[in-house]
Amino acid sequence: MPLHLTLDGQKHSIEIVRRKPHLVLRVDGRTHEILEWSDEPVGSITIDGDATAIARALVDEGGRETCFVRVAGRTLEVVLTDPREESAGHDATRDEIHAPMPGAIVSVHKLVGEQVTRGETVVTIESMKLQTALAAPRDGRLIDVLKKSGESFDKDELLARLEPMDEA
Amino acid sequence: MNQSPEAKPLFRKVLVANRGEIAVRVMRTLRAMNIASVAICHRVEREAVHARFADEAYEIKGETPVAAHLDADAIIAVARDCDADAIHPGYGFLSENAVFARKVAAAGLTFIGPEADTIDLMGDKISARNFAAAHDVPVAPSVQARDDISAFVRAASEIGFPLLIKAAAGGGGKGMSIVRDTSELGERARVASSEAQRYFGDGRIYAETYVERPRHIEVQVLGDGKGGAIHLFERECSIQRRFQKIIEEAPSAPLPESIRTEICDAAVRLVAAARYKNAGTVEFIVGADGRFFFLEMNTRLQVEHPVTEMICGIDLVRAQIEIAAGGPLPLTQRQVCADGHAIECRICAEDADAGFLPATGPIRLLRVPSAEYIRFDNSLEQGQRVTADFDPMLAKLVVWGKDRAEATDRMVAALKQLTILGLRTNIDYLIRTVENAAFRDGALHTNFIAEHADVLAPAAVDERLRDHVLIAAALGQRAFRDAITVVGEPHASMAGWRN
Amino acid sequence: MRKIQSMISTSGTDFRRNDARNRELVAQFRAKQDRARHVRPKRDLERLSSQGKMRPRERIEKLLDPGTPFLELSSLAANMAYEGESPSASSIVGIGIVSGRETIIRADDPTVKGGAWYPLSVKKIVRALDIAIENRLPVIHLCDSAGGFLPLQSELFPDRHMAGRIFRNQSILSKMGVKQLSLVFGHCTAGGAYIPALSDYSVIVRGTGAVFLGGPPLVKAATGEESTVEELGGADMHTSVSGTCDYPAANENEAILIGREIVAQWDQAQKWPIQRDPPEAPAYDPQELYGILPDDIKKQFDMREIIARIVDGSRFHEYQPNYGSTLVCGYANIWGFKVGILANNGVLFNDSSLKGGHFIELCDQNNTPLVFLQNITGYMIGRDYERRGITKDGAKMIMAQSCARVPKFTVMCNGSFGAGNYGMCGRAFDARLLLAWPNHQIGVMGGDQAANTLAEVKANQMRRSGEPVDQATLARVRTETLTAYQEQISAYYSTSELWDDGIIDPVDTRNALGVAISASLNAPLGQKGYGVFRF
Repeated sequence: MPLHLTLDGQKHSIEIVRRKPHLVLRVDGRTHEILEWSDEPVGSITIDGDATAIARALVDEGGRETCFVRVAGRTLEVVLTDPREESAGHDATRDEIHAPMPGAIVSVHKLVGEQVTRGETVVTIESMKLQTALAAPRDGRLIDVLKKSGESFDKDELLARLEPMDEA
Repeated sequence: MNQSPEAKPLFRKVLVANRGEIAVRVMRTLRAMNIASVAICHRVEREAVHARFADEAYEIKGETPVAAHLDADAIIAVARDCDADAIHPGYGFLSENAVFARKVAAAGLTFIGPEADTIDLMGDKISARNFAAAHDVPVAPSVQARDDISAFVRAASEIGFPLLIKAAAGGGGKGMSIVRDTSELGERARVASSEAQRYFGDGRIYAETYVERPRHIEVQVLGDGKGGAIHLFERECSIQRRFQKIIEEAPSAPLPESIRTEICDAAVRLVAAARYKNAGTVEFIVGADGRFFFLEMNTRLQVEHPVTEMICGIDLVRAQIEIAAGGPLPLTQRQVCADGHAIECRICAEDADAGFLPATGPIRLLRVPSAEYIRFDNSLEQGQRVTADFDPMLAKLVVWGKDRAEATDRMVAALKQLTILGLRTNIDYLIRTVENAAFRDGALHTNFIAEHADVLAPAAVDERLRDHVLIAAALGQRAFRDAITVVGEPHASMAGWRN
Repeated sequence: MRKIQSMISTSGTDFRRNDARNRELVAQFRAKQDRARHVRPKRDLERLSSQGKMRPRERIEKLLDPGTPFLELSSLAANMAYEGESPSASSIVGIGIVSGRETIIRADDPTVKGGAWYPLSVKKIVRALDIAIENRLPVIHLCDSAGGFLPLQSELFPDRHMAGRIFRNQSILSKMGVKQLSLVFGHCTAGGAYIPALSDYSVIVRGTGAVFLGGPPLVKAATGEESTVEELGGADMHTSVSGTCDYPAANENEAILIGREIVAQWDQAQKWPIQRDPPEAPAYDPQELYGILPDDIKKQFDMREIIARIVDGSRFHEYQPNYGSTLVCGYANIWGFKVGILANNGVLFNDSSLKGGHFIELCDQNNTPLVFLQNITGYMIGRDYERRGITKDGAKMIMAQSCARVPKFTVMCNGSFGAGNYGMCGRAFDARLLLAWPNHQIGVMGGDQAANTLAEVKANQMRRSGEPVDQATLARVRTETLTAYQEQISAYYSTSELWDDGIIDPVDTRNALGVAISASLNAPLGQKGYGVFRF
């Protein structure tokens, strides 16, 4: 499957066409021969006989991979799309927080309506003398918390629901 | 270790009450002078380069990192506890804080900078202006606002428009505003005053003649505190964005020799009259007609001091230390001579294409150009994270050339080699600016960036560049590279064969 | 090694006539293949896309590493069966590269009767798993099948190599440490449910994928219980309740990506280290094969000309060049892999049989895979040859060939008749892959010989009963035999019945062998040893 990248808000795709005797890639349907390349962050890349000095660095933060590429005194940012995230799209199961085991709520950390980011603790539960923090499975807005502090629940019971934030 | 032939260092140990590139720069001179250096840092910068570069480093507690660096008492306590005998304040933070300077002295330590009273005198724009005017240094016609705004409006209108409204206690462009006719003057004055109150705790403002498309020229001075003073020529600092300099050079190439002499002499006159001690900078506004007015005096080492060092061959920090230790001026005015041309670019973490908003992020790749004519003042290292805790200036790239054309060429080349990837920086913007024809022609003024905004914007990405960048990005991803290398022979050579 | 010096004139009339005829044959083959692969009733395709499903070949293309080969096997299986209702036997099988690993990919074809298995589908699947076992190739099942085609259940269910063999082979593969992954895109019902269940890993698509022994109608009929597909065997049920499947996927794309990630975790067996050299294209253009293969099966041609257009640099080290010259033996490289080639240049005599047997032993000793290029009318018959022991010499060759532990590959280049098929590693002799060219014919004897033999038998009957020999009757016997033969000896009939692993364009032979040889090196060599040679 092709790799999808975004540059200046435009989507592009790159596909491997062949590897030997040299690498051939297809960028949005245009075929390019890569005669020379390296996995070093700074190096030369020869595309269709055209050698360019390139420096690049990958930043994997906030759930997305951005590659900073510097060519001839120009720096451009390319966002690399995770193909699985892209395929799965908006997965409804990630809008819900279910109890992984029976227990009771120790504390609710977020208010209904509040914005949460993936990984942020929404509720802390206690089960078998062990406290577990349940995190938001995605960025979004908390639209429902079904249990109050001290209330108990069964395994798999729905504890909280999120809705996606409007994409900017 | 080589034993210095100098009998004894001027100080045993100096605390540098700063961080980042300037702390490292000061420590380099301390090290060269055989003086131990002490760094201070907030919890978040324990691993920072300046803290590791120093011989000793101490943590200052603070609600915010900036608060730690502004905690005068805590810093002085550290200096005393570690047996330092002097404090160098760098620039920013406490460098122009007279209260701090007094407390340092009261603690029995040497403040490497001017006397507290001089800081007070020059720190207040109005008193500084008055002092300058009194000593035959040209100042722009101005009027200070009293409680009665309408009287202020009347008096200001008499000077003539355009006018510049400024905060008496201000700096850095905060509370500044250009007014072009009477009708908006009252409202602008009120806004400026409340802004000044908010930023500086002092709502006093004044209005002065606004010079259209002015150049910002400043003179580096050294004073011995007894009325002896010299200048080390001027610096051209007209390229500014958001009222802050980003490119400085020395000398100011298009400045006529006669005006240069006049400006430098005026600066020395002012400094001598103030019995100024240590290094300082006198800033002027120069109009297109060659008229110049005193703007303010900065009673500290300037960010852009390296351009002066590069053309004059002097270490200003060393001079500061020698003067602070009670020594005479390191050279006479006659001994001061300038050679060639130096340019400095401030490398900032900011989005130059979107209003110069500060940017944050990790430095994933750092490649620094190196040549005997290149100086890169910095405290960066690959892997470090740039946060919003401090000023977005990351480093200063300085080059020297035999003339401005050579220095400009060298700066472009050095900027192209300088690689800081992982967050947005203004490096590309600086390249476009330095390569710009108007810049090369020396047609500089403080409105340069706004006026050339169109041509300084990045060119559209053409198909060739776009595909090269996309390919480079894809090949930068481990998973994509693995997908290429994971396939062995004979399959790699057969490519997408189907039967 | 020396380059073969071709004696072919590419501008001669024979060459041009052959070229035209063989290109026509290949065009016919491609047309049949194209129909089997792509031509489906619109209604079936629309149903598929309305379910958000991809066509099986799209799934395979997405699963494969981009820019890598895929050797499809038996693309024309069942092409002469079931009145063409089961193109490719409703199943796609091939060797392809996934996350850098050589795998067997086996996909149900839901565009044909809901992916139902015909008897030949079962045969094709069992063969695919046999290839996996022989070569230790991991298997990826792309499951989307309604189950066995009930009207023909007796031909696909009960016997030793029928449906049960699929699950037996799956179990044996797992025991051997050869991984299997099922991507469940559609329903896996009844026996089909065991495919994911017996796979080491499985991914199931939410909404369309389902695994159960009996679907809702069967459950209702059997117990009266009302149930939905999701409750009985949906993705969430199986991945969070029953544990029958491992990974839920939001859609087919994600299932494929998860599958690729899973394969990337698999260990890769050390390849058996045969002699390998850098690959090199043949010096002679493989397209010239079309001009070399004769337009009449009875015309002889020099197999060295074929070898020159398949092997690296057209280089060939010929063994015993002056002895047993009707069997050309020698070493060459294909895609860098050292191989021993045995190719027929005429009928097998005593000396050619002995040479063949000896050369097979040499290759076995030298860890060199064997490639058989068949164009054989049989072992020589007649009193003199029998007295010289042609049968026991042929037996020696068969013994050596059967017992050699190096991988064997057979290409049916033109004709394969009689016991020559055995000596030259016919289907019964477990070639790792057996491929045929479109011009190829196969039978216990040639059509003419069979017709003449049967006519001769008939004439003898008439003579014994004292009747006059009626030439008209004999002519009828001849034509009837020839017609029946014509159909059954064609390559299309062979491949329809899965007597081979597929017809290929002669030009593709080098790549097909490259993929096959590379795959074969995943399995270790067995123990060296032979039975008793009759000297």
